[in-house]
Amino acid sequence: MADRYTINLDGSDVAFADGETLYEIAERHRKEVPTLCYDPRLEAFGACRLCVVELEGARNPVASCTTLATPGMTVRTGTDKVERYRKTLLELVASENREIDVDPLAGHASQELKALVDRYEARTGRFQGRQSGASREDDANPFILRDYDLCISCNRCVRVCAEREGDYAISVKGRGFDTQITTEFSGPLEDSDCTFCGQCVHTCPTGALADRKALRHADVPGEIEKTRTICPYCGVGCSVDIMTKDDRIVGVQPAMDGPANLGALCVKGQFAYDFVQHEERLKTPLVRGDDGVLRPASWDDALDRAAEGFRRVERKHGPAAIFGVASGRAPHEAAYAMQKLMRAGWGLNHIDNCSRA
Amino acid sequence: MLHAFHERDGFVSEEAIGVVSQALCIPVADLYGTVTFYHHFAQHPPGRAVPRVCDGPVCRLFGSEAILGALRREGATPMPCSGRCDDCIPVLYGDRTLVGRSSATLEARPSPLPPPNPGGVTECVFGGIREPGRASFDGYRRTGGYAGLTSALRYGVPQDVVTVITDSGLAGRGGAGFPTGRKWQAVAEAPGEPKTIVCNADEGEPGCFKDRALLDHDPHAVIEGMIAAAYATGAARGFIYLRYEYPETMEILERAIREAEDADLLGENARGPGQPFHLLVRRGAGAYICGEETSLLNSLEGKHPFPRNRPPYPVTHGYEDLPTVVNNVETLASVGPILANGAEWYRGLGLLDHAGTKVISLSGDIARPGNYEVPLGLPLPTLLDDWAGGPGEGRTIQAVTMAGLSGGFLGPNELDVTLDEPGLRARGSFLGAGGVIVFDDTRDMVEVARQAMSFFAHESCGKCFPCRIGTTRLTERLAGDGGPSELAAWTEEITDIGDVMKSTSACGLGMAAPLITESLLRNFGDQVARHVDGGRE
Amino acid sequence: MSNPLEDMEKPDVIFCIGTNMTECHPVAATRLKRALAGGAKLIVADPRKIRLADISDVYLPLRVGSDVALLLGMGHVIVRDGLENTGFVEERTTNFEAVRDHLRQVDMGWVSEITGLPAADVERAARLYAGAERGALYYTLGITEHICGVDNVQSLCNLVLLTGHIGREGTGINPMRGQDNIQGAGDCGALPNNYAGFQPVDDPANQQKFKELYGREVSLERGMTKVTALERCGESVFGMIIDGENTLVSDPDRHHCERALKSLDHLVVIDIFLTETGELADVVLPATAWGETDGVCSNTERRVQRLRAAVPPAGESKPDWWIVSQIAQRLNIDGFEYESARDVFNELCAVSPIYNGLDWERIAEGEYHWPVPDKDHAGTPILHQGEFKNGRGILTVVSYRDPAETISAEYPVWLTTGRRLESYHTRTQTGRAQGIDYLLPEELLEIHPDDVATYGLEDGGWAKMASPRGEVIIRVRATDRSPPGTVFSSFAFDDVPVNVLTGSGYDPITHTAEMKVCPVRIEAAEAP
Repeated sequence: MADRYTINLDGSDVAFADGETLYEIAERHRKEVPTLCYDPRLEAFGACRLCVVELEGARNPVASCTTLATPGMTVRTGTDKVERYRKTLLELVASENREIDVDPLAGHASQELKALVDRYEARTGRFQGRQSGASREDDANPFILRDYDLCISCNRCVRVCAEREGDYAISVKGRGFDTQITTEFSGPLEDSDCTFCGQCVHTCPTGALADRKALRHADVPGEIEKTRTICPYCGVGCSVDIMTKDDRIVGVQPAMDGPANLGALCVKGQFAYDFVQHEERLKTPLVRGDDGVLRPASWDDALDRAAEGFRRVERKHGPAAIFGVASGRAPHEAAYAMQKLMRAGWGLNHIDNCSRA
Repeated sequence: MLHAFHERDGFVSEEAIGVVSQALCIPVADLYGTVTFYHHFAQHPPGRAVPRVCDGPVCRLFGSEAILGALRREGATPMPCSGRCDDCIPVLYGDRTLVGRSSATLEARPSPLPPPNPGGVTECVFGGIREPGRASFDGYRRTGGYAGLTSALRYGVPQDVVTVITDSGLAGRGGAGFPTGRKWQAVAEAPGEPKTIVCNADEGEPGCFKDRALLDHDPHAVIEGMIAAAYATGAARGFIYLRYEYPETMEILERAIREAEDADLLGENARGPGQPFHLLVRRGAGAYICGEETSLLNSLEGKHPFPRNRPPYPVTHGYEDLPTVVNNVETLASVGPILANGAEWYRGLGLLDHAGTKVISLSGDIARPGNYEVPLGLPLPTLLDDWAGGPGEGRTIQAVTMAGLSGGFLGPNELDVTLDEPGLRARGSFLGAGGVIVFDDTRDMVEVARQAMSFFAHESCGKCFPCRIGTTRLTERLAGDGGPSELAAWTEEITDIGDVMKSTSACGLGMAAPLITESLLRNFGDQVARHVDGGRE
Repeated sequence: MSNPLEDMEKPDVIFCIGTNMTECHPVAATRLKRALAGGAKLIVADPRKIRLADISDVYLPLRVGSDVALLLGMGHVIVRDGLENTGFVEERTTNFEAVRDHLRQVDMGWVSEITGLPAADVERAARLYAGAERGALYYTLGITEHICGVDNVQSLCNLVLLTGHIGREGTGINPMRGQDNIQGAGDCGALPNNYAGFQPVDDPANQQKFKELYGREVSLERGMTKVTALERCGESVFGMIIDGENTLVSDPDRHHCERALKSLDHLVVIDIFLTETGELADVVLPATAWGETDGVCSNTERRVQRLRAAVPPAGESKPDWWIVSQIAQRLNIDGFEYESARDVFNELCAVSPIYNGLDWERIAEGEYHWPVPDKDHAGTPILHQGEFKNGRGILTVVSYRDPAETISAEYPVWLTTGRRLESYHTRTQTGRAQGIDYLLPEELLEIHPDDVATYGLEDGGWAKMASPRGEVIIRVRATDRSPPGTVFSSFAFDDVPVNVLTGSGYDPITHTAEMKVCPVRIEAAEAP
């Protein structure tokens, strides 16, 4: 029985589950098989052919991402032959692209091509020729840069839009070397079914689709730091990484392992973050003066005024005259402290939040 | 549906795409992308009516560029080989094909019949094709057609048909050579209804024109084969996927299907009482890749015609993810005669231990081009010299292609082969769909190779990286447009690209295309050297 | 939600009512779309032809405010045709007979008349949902923001209990929460009827427990709701502290709300911007924002997750808990000696049985759904498995009521309100995000093209829209997403304060305002 579910992977017998592909098994055993068109959230596509492995009995190497394991297979993932093919493929890819080195702010997966080209030392300059793709500089939307000069037609954007988002806003047009990612009738994204969720941007392995908003900060010096948190908008609770450079928020990326969203985000969570460091933020307490005007005050003065006001109301009208409204937008600690203030302070349950609105 | 709009308006408008998108529940962006994939779907007026001139490898030899130039005023555009290599040069005006060697002599005429078999050997698919009236139901019937099917339906069970076909040794005549009986068996056994029979009539391989001859002159033979396949496998529906460039064939087929329906051979009781088989013709729109069976299935379903990943294979997950037979025209046309004459008869048609026959579409620099049904195992020189009259006066044969263009070239020293897969594969080529184009000693083989590679680049679907980039890089190098100017480096690039394409491409197109450069380097090193040196200046 | 978000990919029939999920919960909607791609069937009930309607199998464009009638009709079909899940009803519910008898009397012709739906569509929806192996129900404010919000929810509960689509994978009754931590505000006890962890205040045992914890006896009486408090401002309520809510713009009947807040003796507002509400306050205290604050939130599937600060606070802003604690300390209230968010959260866990198994460290990866009663508990992604918290599920007799105001000769058009994909609430945040304006530059009134003609308007032109409470000038967009006779706008833009119109009534139990139904009059207007 055991034999039914094992294959020989680089000389070792390894178990696999029904429906697993050779790539998934290799990945589990840390074989570092290279890929460009693969995204674990998407159906395997089999376009880049970098993941080819040698399969005993097969005339040609097989694409491991689309090959289901069957018992008794003998697979070699890193022979000289497949490594040579991989290098040639990467040289070919490098030859059709205007630029390999893109800013990491471009997107979550934007460094994949660069990393592989470097790993295989594929910047040889061989196979020079025409470059594919045409940048859509006319698409002036503020969020998604469509620099198809860098596109390698891996179709990850098209597939994530269809398979994960269910929006089907983008597709592929033309064929062969003239293959191009497109919207309906080649218009700008704004005129398509695009919802600007940014998923295409973050699965793009070359930065051809890039986070235009984040790239405004490309010239800000400093390393990018990521902080894992939860999106501040609706109740779905998507995990995000806030990207910061030198205490400046420069972008948001979806957390691919976020339990509630599995890498998905919407336009708000993806792009509407700059309220945080907005110039109109309240930076000091304000206290209304005798003339009726709100003026900046110190924390001590403001807190004293806040407390004193409640003391006055309680004296004059009793504890039942005081009411607290907690926020559905602030963390637990805010709501907990607020309800405790009402209950421990005045012995009443005069506390509510906006959940019923 | 897209074709209906294309025919009505002469082009596929944005409105039309919107309507079709709603009706078929296909996202607009996907449908738009798919429309742009096909060569023949015009998106702007005047569109469809504009003349399209074949600039395939054979027509190029005989003046297609001159016609294209002459018709430029009418907005003429080139189209890839459109399967009239035995009677050049076809020009497509909407639904009419005109032929002629110059723009002044263009006329409508039926596609040529196969020449009478010069070897006097027994034929299978061409056995009745030259009989007068054969294309009509009555004529077909009168000359022995539908006899095999009728007796199979009357006296046997479906498994008998599978057994006969299996025993006959019939294998896919479109190029892949998969045993037909085994394919039918697999579909008969696969779970899932309804099952489907698809006739692959997307004859896109340059230098191949056998399907056109069969469908134009013997359409009922193909229908008979499809009904037999349906009976054998339990399929209730069938499609003939016909290439766009054969509009007259479309009419012939539709008439033949109506005749068969009127005779109750197709329809509700085709496979027996209450056992339906419905047959429809579906038209391609100009995409070589749709001859690849999984692309064809995607195209039939209205999806983007990228090849599918396999497994699963069409026999279990074909049209609409249900069990499907995809057979070539010639394969299906062989079925009727096999049922009528028996498995042994068919096996015996081949030479030595090769079973059966194969149609070779012979064209180019040869005295008598045309479709020849040869016994498998026939020596190539017999066909070229004895049957077809050899090259032109005073010329010698410099090269022939195999499998249309996909098998690359056989050089002057490689012509001593026999026409069968084992023999040809030993020479690094293959028989494929059976197109053989002859080039005499006046031809520039690097230019011929460039044209061939340019065709593959044009037809690459763009999905897998080695083919998408590789065909373009090889074309550029054959055109002297980029690439190293030093022979060793040039050769190394060509070889490396070829290796990676052959070994890692996702479908046959990318695997076959580098046979062009491989055989060019093998046979015509001197011409290559001159080409690369020339590029140095 | 009774079931986790991942279950959205598992039902074979999905019923969405009063939820514009693709715009309000877009990421949840992606899961639903994947279920559809896998063959699930979708029923959508919404007055507006929202995007979900485009991908539905049965679309029920009911008249605004007629949800109870629709659900009565569906219930009628279920009991009439014997489609109820008899085993489930017998084992796990009570009061079936009364509800059955009530439903039997429902007349489908009446349902059709009230809802404006063909009876055949209601029947189809009922059979589809009842016949599902795994039927899941999703709703949002389109159900609750009505004077009959509780009736609506109880009608949905009836449907769920009749069919047994609860307590199993891929089923359930699933309200989608609209704000990132609205679930959490309730979890924490910011409710007039519950202590933290939904412990009722009117239970003497809880009173005793919290007396020991908080050092003071808290009344057994439920507190006021916010709606009541706003009504009593200047009469019996004179001091208010509001955290992070732009009450003035987000709440209905803005004019009333403004008068109320102005009549207070003392108003403290904690927020990250100086909002319209803050402008009315005596003291405004600057809070740290998202991205600057460590803390915890609960999402709509009761998943408890950590918020982390990525950048330093703006100016002198401070975390909300710190601000509230400082006020408490200045009022000499004990128990506010917190040094960190962690301290506050761990206290919450200690006092809330549903959080007992959690602490600051344990929720770092966000894998727990409450209830998590102890440290060995793995959390509860699916509620009501095997049994309900209070024993049996109670079927309730519900009857239809008209909305507080119905259309008349003077106000002949239904206005319904909601959110849009690109904006959020009162735009204090999205309004300040670069690029969002490009997608959504201004408020629009969505009107069916026929109505545009009827009322002499122009697509892209301006309209004056009035209710008994006020009027606004708004730009017109002709679209068949709105049915004839019903118009839609969001309440996101302060320059088009749609909530001066709304607020015709409140649910008598929850005091949720009728935001979704408001008769209005529409006429052409000059550009403002």
